[in-house]
Amino acid sequence: MSTQLQHDMLPHATHDELARQNFVQSLKVYLASKVSPGNKVVYEQRAKPRFEQEYKRAPQTRHEVRRVMTDEPYYQTWSALQRTSQEMMWDAVAASVERQLPELIARAKRNGNTVGSLTLNPDLKIPAYHTAVDIHCMPGGYHSEDVTDDVAAGAVYDRAVYIYAVSRLGALNDDLGQSLVRYLKETHPAWQPRKILDMGCSVGHSTLPFVDAYPEAEVYAIDVGAPMLRYAHARAEALGKCVHFSQQNAEHTNFADGSFDLIVSHILLHETSSAAVRNIMRECYRLLTPGGMMVHLEAPQYHGMEPYAAFMFDWDTYNNNEPFWGTMRELDLVALAATAGFAKEKTFQTFVPSAWQATRLGTSRFQCGDFGGGGRWFMFAAGK
Amino acid sequence: MARKAKGERPVFFHDPQVDKLLAITMALAGEVSVLHERLDTLERLAEAKGLISRQEIESYRPDEQVREERERWRTEYIARVLRVVREELEAVERGEVPESYETVVRAVSS
Repeated sequence: MSTQLQHDMLPHATHDELARQNFVQSLKVYLASKVSPGNKVVYEQRAKPRFEQEYKRAPQTRHEVRRVMTDEPYYQTWSALQRTSQEMMWDAVAASVERQLPELIARAKRNGNTVGSLTLNPDLKIPAYHTAVDIHCMPGGYHSEDVTDDVAAGAVYDRAVYIYAVSRLGALNDDLGQSLVRYLKETHPAWQPRKILDMGCSVGHSTLPFVDAYPEAEVYAIDVGAPMLRYAHARAEALGKCVHFSQQNAEHTNFADGSFDLIVSHILLHETSSAAVRNIMRECYRLLTPGGMMVHLEAPQYHGMEPYAAFMFDWDTYNNNEPFWGTMRELDLVALAATAGFAKEKTFQTFVPSAWQATRLGTSRFQCGDFGGGGRWFMFAAGK
Repeated sequence: MARKAKGERPVFFHDPQVDKLLAITMALAGEVSVLHERLDTLERLAEAKGLISRQEIESYRPDEQVREERERWRTEYIARVLRVVREELEAVERGEVPESYETVVRAVSS
């Protein structure tokens, strides 16, 4: 198994901490590859016939599938193991980060402002969709701060994402950004955006590929979480990448109209709300120059998906603190973009192959909700 | 640092105590794995350097300081194994009820 790039900001793990993280990763791989597929067997052989006997038809929605699967002992065990593996992952990483937090904060300060910048806004209101529950069960979420100049949330996220993705996002967790860059270079080879904005950047792992791909462009990245941004800034500095980070809500930013040629987001939308997605679309329209483009990478929508597959994707909605995951998958993104001002004929949805997996064979693995089942990303884009 | 994610923990089994027991068991399994990995490292290093024999390990007797260090280690270890119990108490202290999570799903979806 490949290892994560030990950049200057990545927390170090002691022998036992690493062994604990290794165990969680192995457990997740085992659950995904050996235990989770059994749910389909249970569904086909037990739950679905039970439903059919009662209703004289097959389940038609993910909700109907969930209703019959909830009582299946096998599904209960897998679910409990899956949830526990998620909690163990955060716990194993948080313990390691907590031990070395003063050193991480010192390192973040040492990395300074050599190439990029960081602007925090202590008055920013953290949106309710982040404070109501801690998204994907990460204790404290993206925004909580316990000490001055806290970077813990960023450090935990950077390491845990690597474990969660079982290294499928690459040594710098940058596969989302790399995949999008690869797609844009192939479909728009002559295009050189001058100003780029990454919305909901967290630790900037998806942002940095744009710095390399468009060296002439100014790259901006925003997030609501201060500890994420402090870490993201220090991480980018440590890697020598110029990004201007600021603490802002993507629904309403302080950038001027027509500021950007390219606005991107990477698995951001499902961590917001219906109202926020509408606002984000509107804000993208306002911020784009004529001829500019917004591109959002996400997990796939439920439209056209088999009820069982949608039910499995939907596990995170109810069991992994992703309350908006399911509703997001059923939104009519084209209609929302149109309401925000984008011409319908300039919107498009497609699947972008994963840059990391394109270089390797047979690595796709489906966990449950996951980042989209591996191997490709769902893309929603619109031009202005 | 917060160590419990805000939000009601789902119950999968008909008896919620079973959910708790499973989490405890998996934590234990994890710690056995951690231990195994450390032992494996030790034995491989020691073997490579010709440092120890099995007889030396069998006849080892810890002194007072080692006993105290081990006691502290075991306390942290047990806290890790019983994480889910601690989280249950935190949920109680925060007043999280089963309805609270569904309220959030409805709120963000409307």
